[in-house]
Amino acid sequence: MVVLRAGLCPGLTEDMIQLLRDNGIRTVVDFVSSDLEDVAQKCSLSYKALVAVRRVLLAQFSAFPANGADLYEELKSSTAILPTGSPSLDQLLDSGLYTGEVMELMGAPGTGKTQVCLGIAASVSLGLKQHVLFLDSTGGFTASRLYQMLQAQTEDEEEQLEALQRVQVQRVFNIYEVLRALQGLRDRLSQQVLSSMGPLKVVVLDSVSAVIYPLLGGRQSEGLALMMQLSRELKTLAREFSLAVVVTNQVTRDSSSGPLKPALGRSWSFVPSTRVLLESKEGSWERSSTQRAASLAKSPRQPTGIQVELDIGNGDVLDPSLVTPTQGL
Amino acid sequence: MTAGCLGECSIWHQGRYSGDTEHPSNGRSSLKNLEPCLFAEEGSPVHGDVIEFHGPEGTGKTEMLYHLLARCIIPKAQGGLEVEVMFVDTDYHFDMLRLVTILENRLAQGTEEMIKQCLGRLFLVSCSSSTQLLLTLYSLENLFCAHPSLCVLLLDSLSAFYWIDRSNGGESLTLQEMNLKKCANFLEKLVTQHHLILFATTQTLMQKSANSAEGFLPLKLPHETDTDYRPYLCKSWQQMVTHRMFFSKQCNSASSKGFTVVSCHLKRNQIVKRSFSVAECGVQF
Repeated sequence: MVVLRAGLCPGLTEDMIQLLRDNGIRTVVDFVSSDLEDVAQKCSLSYKALVAVRRVLLAQFSAFPANGADLYEELKSSTAILPTGSPSLDQLLDSGLYTGEVMELMGAPGTGKTQVCLGIAASVSLGLKQHVLFLDSTGGFTASRLYQMLQAQTEDEEEQLEALQRVQVQRVFNIYEVLRALQGLRDRLSQQVLSSMGPLKVVVLDSVSAVIYPLLGGRQSEGLALMMQLSRELKTLAREFSLAVVVTNQVTRDSSSGPLKPALGRSWSFVPSTRVLLESKEGSWERSSTQRAASLAKSPRQPTGIQVELDIGNGDVLDPSLVTPTQGL
Repeated sequence: MTAGCLGECSIWHQGRYSGDTEHPSNGRSSLKNLEPCLFAEEGSPVHGDVIEFHGPEGTGKTEMLYHLLARCIIPKAQGGLEVEVMFVDTDYHFDMLRLVTILENRLAQGTEEMIKQCLGRLFLVSCSSSTQLLLTLYSLENLFCAHPSLCVLLLDSLSAFYWIDRSNGGESLTLQEMNLKKCANFLEKLVTQHHLILFATTQTLMQKSANSAEGFLPLKLPHETDTDYRPYLCKSWQQMVTHRMFFSKQCNSASSKGFTVVSCHLKRNQIVKRSFSVAECGVQF
């Protein structure tokens, strides 16, 4: 809601605003949706001047339609497909993460959501030499595990360190911190402050349910509004700056026998373009098992329901003691 | 891309779409042949109709929009309608690459040049708030005036700002619904004055409450169709809708057509139920 004020657009003077306000027109929406002939009469203002102001306000505050052919040209040069570091996951996603989209990894605790996120960070920072922003809302980010994955991919220590530097980690323990971090990111990207951060391609939010769960229940609509604000921010960032956004989510089911579905309810279910379900493979509850099943629950490109096997233990080349998550660097 | 049926939930269907033989266009620029399968006999859409696609996530609403969009922008010579389309994307959800895949599959010569020619008939605008949506609709009026062949308006989705508006409006229902109501009223004006057809999706955001008024539909739905429908958008919108189509997906059905649409012509009390599948080439009835 934008309130009318002098200087908002040429031709909109302080006197005019006062007259309009006296007639109950306070915001841009009030102004452009009123009958200007009527307003001109009531406020004794020039109809022509009002029409001119309306035209400028509309141009300023509306979204501009693009032609499909132009947009397609633009997309062909801006869309990138980023390998996730796991060939089977790439196959599931039709060659990798698409920039401009939000991808959700859903799964019960211990199904490897964070491991897949770390794998993506390793692959993008080392293989593609692109930067990654990792928003950690559970404290689950494990630098030593990331390092281990990098070591499995290259023996060059210089390269490993450079890759680590390209992964920026931010701890965000509530939705306000997440929104602030994303706002900060938007500012940096739109001012093209690339000195601290090179070309950014991936934003990971692990996990989205951890910051949204506390908002739900009680006066629901406020929590849901914040949730939708977050979804909007993630989607617009992905679109405007050609980023691939990866979020993790819990799972739930309607009844004890129902199929697994993403947590956070119906309104969230519409948010990601692509959704992958991670599950521990049946009968493999031994501690050492690293085999997971990944299936496609939603995709704009691939048939849903296809499933691949995923080994989240790849990169275990070092001392096995490092496999157990340790906190921080 | 891997085609073929994998698993029980597979939504892919073998076979190719043959747009020019299945739904021959008789060469007139009417929208009668937009998609006969979606409408009851004699219920084909006319200019001024407002059609709501309603359903949960993953039930094919957006795919159906791509299907209609492709039918509109493909040239007459190739079985399309050759009209211009405005797509309003409020969910940042529109997938151009998906649309291009569908076009490539449906055009006899899916050359880059031909694809771009088709896409030239599409206008796309994204809105990030209900205020911006309203102001954008106001500003589109000029475009509709300048492009007489722009006669289809697609809006995906109308419920995108529901929770944010509801929270911004505080305790007052009037304030909560103010922007959407203005949008609905102006959409009605655009549709009438410029002889458009409007297709808008609304998402199933809420469960049907146990004692919900079934009377919202003037007709009884076939009892086997469990429409999880609870109208929650403003009255202005509810009243301008001429057709409401309920989308659903059967996960374990044996048939290859996993999606269902129940189309209700609200003025004539006509109901059509159709199944469709979604393949690489888009929706297939």
